[in-house]
Amino acid sequence: MSDVRKGLIWIAAFVLVVLAGDRLFAWLAQRVLVRSQFRYSRLYRGGNDAEIVILGDSRGVNSFYAPAIEKLTGRRAFNLSYNSLSPEIAEALLLDHLDRNAKPKIVILEFTSAIVSGEVLTELRPYAGLSPRLMALYTRKHPYAARAGRVFHLLPLNSGFYIEALHYMRRDDQDWIMRSALPPEARTAPAAIWRFKPFPQNIAALGRIADALRRRGIEGRFVIAPYYQKHFMNMPQFLGLVEHAVDPDEHVRIYNYADAIDDPGAFADTVHLNETGSLILLKMLQRDGVFAAGGMAGPGARF
Amino acid sequence: MLFNSFAFLVFLPAFMLCYWATSGRTRLWVMLVFSIGFYAWWDWRFVFLLLFSSVVDFSLGILLENEQGDAIRRRLIVLSVAVNLGFLGFFKYFNFFADSAARLSRSMGLHVTYDALKIVLPVGISFYVFKTMSYTIDVYRRTEKAERDLLKFTTFVVFFPELVAGPIVRASRMLPQLQRDHAFDYERMVSGLTLVLSGYVRKVAIADSIAPLVDIRFAHPEAHSSVSLLLGVYLYAFQIYCDFSGYSNIAIGLARILGFDFGINFDRPYFSRGFSEFWSRWHISLSSWLRDYLYIPLGGSRGGAWLTYRNLMLTMLLGGLWHGANWTFVAWGALHGLYLVAQRMMGGRVRLPAVVQVFVVFNLTCFAWIFFRSPSFDVAWQVISGIAHYHGSLLDIDNRWKILKCVVLIGGLLAFEWSGGLLARRNDRNGRRAESPPLHRNGWRLAFCAACVWVILIFGTFSGLNFIYFQF
Repeated sequence: MSDVRKGLIWIAAFVLVVLAGDRLFAWLAQRVLVRSQFRYSRLYRGGNDAEIVILGDSRGVNSFYAPAIEKLTGRRAFNLSYNSLSPEIAEALLLDHLDRNAKPKIVILEFTSAIVSGEVLTELRPYAGLSPRLMALYTRKHPYAARAGRVFHLLPLNSGFYIEALHYMRRDDQDWIMRSALPPEARTAPAAIWRFKPFPQNIAALGRIADALRRRGIEGRFVIAPYYQKHFMNMPQFLGLVEHAVDPDEHVRIYNYADAIDDPGAFADTVHLNETGSLILLKMLQRDGVFAAGGMAGPGARF
Repeated sequence: MLFNSFAFLVFLPAFMLCYWATSGRTRLWVMLVFSIGFYAWWDWRFVFLLLFSSVVDFSLGILLENEQGDAIRRRLIVLSVAVNLGFLGFFKYFNFFADSAARLSRSMGLHVTYDALKIVLPVGISFYVFKTMSYTIDVYRRTEKAERDLLKFTTFVVFFPELVAGPIVRASRMLPQLQRDHAFDYERMVSGLTLVLSGYVRKVAIADSIAPLVDIRFAHPEAHSSVSLLLGVYLYAFQIYCDFSGYSNIAIGLARILGFDFGINFDRPYFSRGFSEFWSRWHISLSSWLRDYLYIPLGGSRGGAWLTYRNLMLTMLLGGLWHGANWTFVAWGALHGLYLVAQRMMGGRVRLPAVVQVFVVFNLTCFAWIFFRSPSFDVAWQVISGIAHYHGSLLDIDNRWKILKCVVLIGGLLAFEWSGGLLARRNDRNGRRAESPPLHRNGWRLAFCAACVWVILIFGTFSGLNFIYFQF
């Protein structure tokens, strides 16, 4: 047999082995992924019966400490927030959650995440194979990577979330909270000027989330968690935009706690609460009826 | 053009097709034109510099061979070295030396200011200048015949796999291989592809995954704990190793597929038990170049202990400076010079277990890497003092998942290299082939290549980062 012929046969065998192994390992890896206790694995595995579901970016992670909510309300809580998780992504995750899990009574959304562009989408790609909604978002933002992912099934699993999912194989991930305190120099610094620059697609997503919740008879709570000493330049305009999109009523309400806490000991940094701060906020939410379902929620107390 | 770019994915099959479809001088033209295209993709203006350098050394090579008078030959070789080092000096070191001179003047009380010129460093200049310079020196020494075919000579200089970041393939190795056509060889294709894919694993999966973790530590050393900084230094040791050995493997593998033999450039350097061993395993084409064209001409080890130490220090200082126009590179070279001198001074008096020797050499190498990676002495000092003044713990480290991924990949690489070394030694003893077994068996090679693709897919970083040695 000539060398060229042998070479061509070897390359053909190589391509076949690569593709076969790619499919096999990707299939096995997906099986492992959905067995994890990582929040998105739990979401896509299905079978959750949380009554309170929380969505948002890093402020959603650190403001709504799920174990404390459960203790305070006696209801099962499930925090799906993650750093840089935009309402556009939250919409896909929420609808997937509603399709695969028991219907929650209340969905809380920290909506200042409307200012993030949603970089976390690339990390979420291991789950895109399980969700046409996430896949559509991913394909729109990363068309070449999405196309490559259709050829090589291992490629979408190349993500920090996959490693994180392995870490949370047998451990719950709902205990994320910052416990550090605001550094002394940040406590005495003058109030920073803060201007909300929401992405239009995120504002539109907030509107669609509110509609989806109404249609399914789920109570929606659109909340702004506290900031430490910020001078908000356009809070009324920002709230107006969100109100226009969400169209609040007795089932879907908007709450603004942006300047509700001024104790520096409650913050890990100027935009994130720590565990102490989260507990203070949660008590405020309970006082204001945010956790009360069945149209019993208090009015948007600070709005 | 980068080996890890989309453009290269298009370039390579087109080149391979034209290369195997042609023969003789047409094939040489294919190699030349594609290589120039490869280089021009980065900046077409410097193609002229590359070609000019080739023509100058080609002409000087013929003149050196034809000329019988020693005085004229000496002038010719001085001219060749001056032209080559002149290019290197202007493009790479002009600002560095001018700025250093201005600083020195200021420190002596003179009011000298210097505004740096905006000089773009032609990519690969350090590599091709050393390549052409060694050619004229060899012709001057009459250890090499002058090449009389400009097409062949220029192809030797610009051949794309090793043009921009080595290995530095000398004329004595490459020119004879250009004298004949290489038929397609199945064995060479498979072993070449094995090397290419292992190179991509090193670059795309390991080095590029480590890069951002190292970058943040050297950008703000003050914001990191001792453990975090130490981890950053160790990670950098593997980043630079995988980045550069990855490039070398891709270059050597591509050449092997095309029928050329470039030799090896890295041979498990972090398993070295001494610094002379380290330099016989790290960037072999550069260290052997420095040995043959600098250390030995300086006198090597022939003039007694102190002259040997001087020659070692000079060689390593200049080797350091070759890497970049910054005193931190000189410090890196000086440290390696000192290590070599210290090792020579100790001779065989200190006997340590092999594993301790490897540990000591690796850690001292890592210490030198701090200067190599730091943009300034201030940063290097911050890193060293940050590590020395112990604070923080492992728990303070951010990006633990990404670090874990890198540690797993590095562990895999070291296990592969260690077992490869072990098996190679055993095979040597048994008189069998020394190539990393069992990778000479077809089935294993197929499995290894497929595994490389899977590792790249699952762990690769596809941000198209430059190879570190491009800047040198």
